[in-house]
Amino acid sequence: MHSSLVRIQNVFGYFTSVAFAVAAAVAVSVLLSSQTPSASLELKNVQVVKGRPHYYSTKREEYAHVKFDLDAGMRLAFPQPPPSKLTHPDLTSLFNWNTKQIFMYITASYPSTSPSIPPSEAVIWDAIIPSDHAPFHPNTYIHPTSKTPPKSKSKSKSKGKPYPEGASAGIVKLSNQKPKYQITDVSGKIAERENATLSLHWNVQPWVGALVWTNTKSYGRWSGLKGGADKFDFPSLKGSETIKKEDLKTETGAEKNRGSPA
Amino acid sequence: MFSSIASLQPRQLAAQVLNFALVLSTAFMLWKGLSVFTNSSSPIVVVLSGSMEPAFERGDLLFLWNRGMDTQVGEIVVYNVRGKDIPIVHRVVRRFGGGSAPLQLLTKGDNNAADDTELYARGQDYLERSKDVVGSVVGYVPFVGYVTILLSEYPWLKTAMLGFMALTVVLQRE
Repeated sequence: MHSSLVRIQNVFGYFTSVAFAVAAAVAVSVLLSSQTPSASLELKNVQVVKGRPHYYSTKREEYAHVKFDLDAGMRLAFPQPPPSKLTHPDLTSLFNWNTKQIFMYITASYPSTSPSIPPSEAVIWDAIIPSDHAPFHPNTYIHPTSKTPPKSKSKSKSKGKPYPEGASAGIVKLSNQKPKYQITDVSGKIAERENATLSLHWNVQPWVGALVWTNTKSYGRWSGLKGGADKFDFPSLKGSETIKKEDLKTETGAEKNRGSPA
Repeated sequence: MFSSIASLQPRQLAAQVLNFALVLSTAFMLWKGLSVFTNSSSPIVVVLSGSMEPAFERGDLLFLWNRGMDTQVGEIVVYNVRGKDIPIVHRVVRRFGGGSAPLQLLTKGDNNAADDTELYARGQDYLERSKDVVGSVVGYVPFVGYVTILLSEYPWLKTAMLGFMALTVVLQRE
C-alpha cells in the first residue's frame, strides 16, 4: 500500500486529473470573456487576366493544356484580387487568456451560375497573428511598417511584429494590399461575375478547447463582427498588353514549407 | 511468479480474464459510440506533420465533427487522399458547389506555401466533402497525442511498454 510504485501511480493519477480539470476550466471560461470585433474592408481594384495555375508540375502542365484546348477554347481566367482591402480592423478583444493565435483571412465569395447551388468562396489573403504569450514561430504575420524594408535579411527577421508600431495584437492597418492568392472558379471563368462579396473572417486557435470562427451575430458577451464586408463585381477579362506585370504580383506569406507541400 | 498464478482457482482466473475483457470492450464501445455520435470514422486524431504550425504541432490531439456537411472556407478538415490511408489535417481555402451539386473543397496547410493540389490523387483537383473528408476539427488538446507518434516511430517502445505492463500485472500478484 505504501510502496514507491503505488505512490508514483497515485501522484501521476492525481496530476492527470488536475491537469484535465484545469484544461476543461480554461476551455469553458472563454465564454466569459467579452469580444467586440470590428473591421472595415474596402475593395480597391480587381482585375481579371488569363493565366495558368503556377503550381502544376511539368507533367500536370501538359495535362492542363490539353484539357483546356479540348474544351472548345476555354482558357483559365484569373481575377487579380482586390489589392486593396483592409483598413483598421480591430480584433484585439478576440485575444483572451486562452488565445494562442488568430488566423485572419479574407475571402471573395460570388454566386454560382445555378440557383440551387450556394455561392462559391475562395481565400485571397490570410495572416497568422500570434498572441504575445505564444512562443516565437517563423510562420507568423509581419505587419508592413511605414519605413522602407531594411536591405539585410538578418535585420528583417528579428524585427517585425504582427501589428503596427504602438498597437497590440489584433490591429491590422493595410492599404492597397496585394493578395496572397489569385483565385479562379472551378469552371475556369470568373470574369464579369456579379454580386461578389469581399469579407473578413477569423479563426481563434485556443491553447486548449474549442476552435471558434467568425460570428456576425452576438452571443452573450461575444458581440458579432461589425463591418468587414464589401460588395463588388468581377470586371471583364483584360488583355495582357494593358496589364503591367508588377500589378499582378502577389504577396508572399511566411510559410516555411516551400515547394512540395508536407 | 508462475506458481502464484497456478494457485489461483479457476473461478478467480476466469473473473480476472472477464474483467480484462470488460475493460477492453468498454474502451472499444466508447470509441465506436463516439464515432457514431460524430459520424466520423476516426473522431480523435493525432497531428502527424508540421504543415499546420503554429496552430497545430506534431502530437496534438484533435476532436472531429463530421455532421456539418456544409463545410465553410477556413474550417480545418481531416481528409484521406484517395487510395492512401494517411489522414491529412489542412485548412479549407476554396469551396465550390453544395446544395444540389457535390461540395468540392480545396485545402492548404497553414505552413505550406502551396495548396494541396499536388497532394491529391492523380486527376483529382478538389476534395469531395461527402467522400474524402473524415471530419472537421472542432476542439483540440495540445501535446497529449505525442505518445502515439513515439509508439509508431519507435516500434521497440511498443514491445517495451507491453512487457513492462505485463511485468507489473504479474508482480502485483505477490
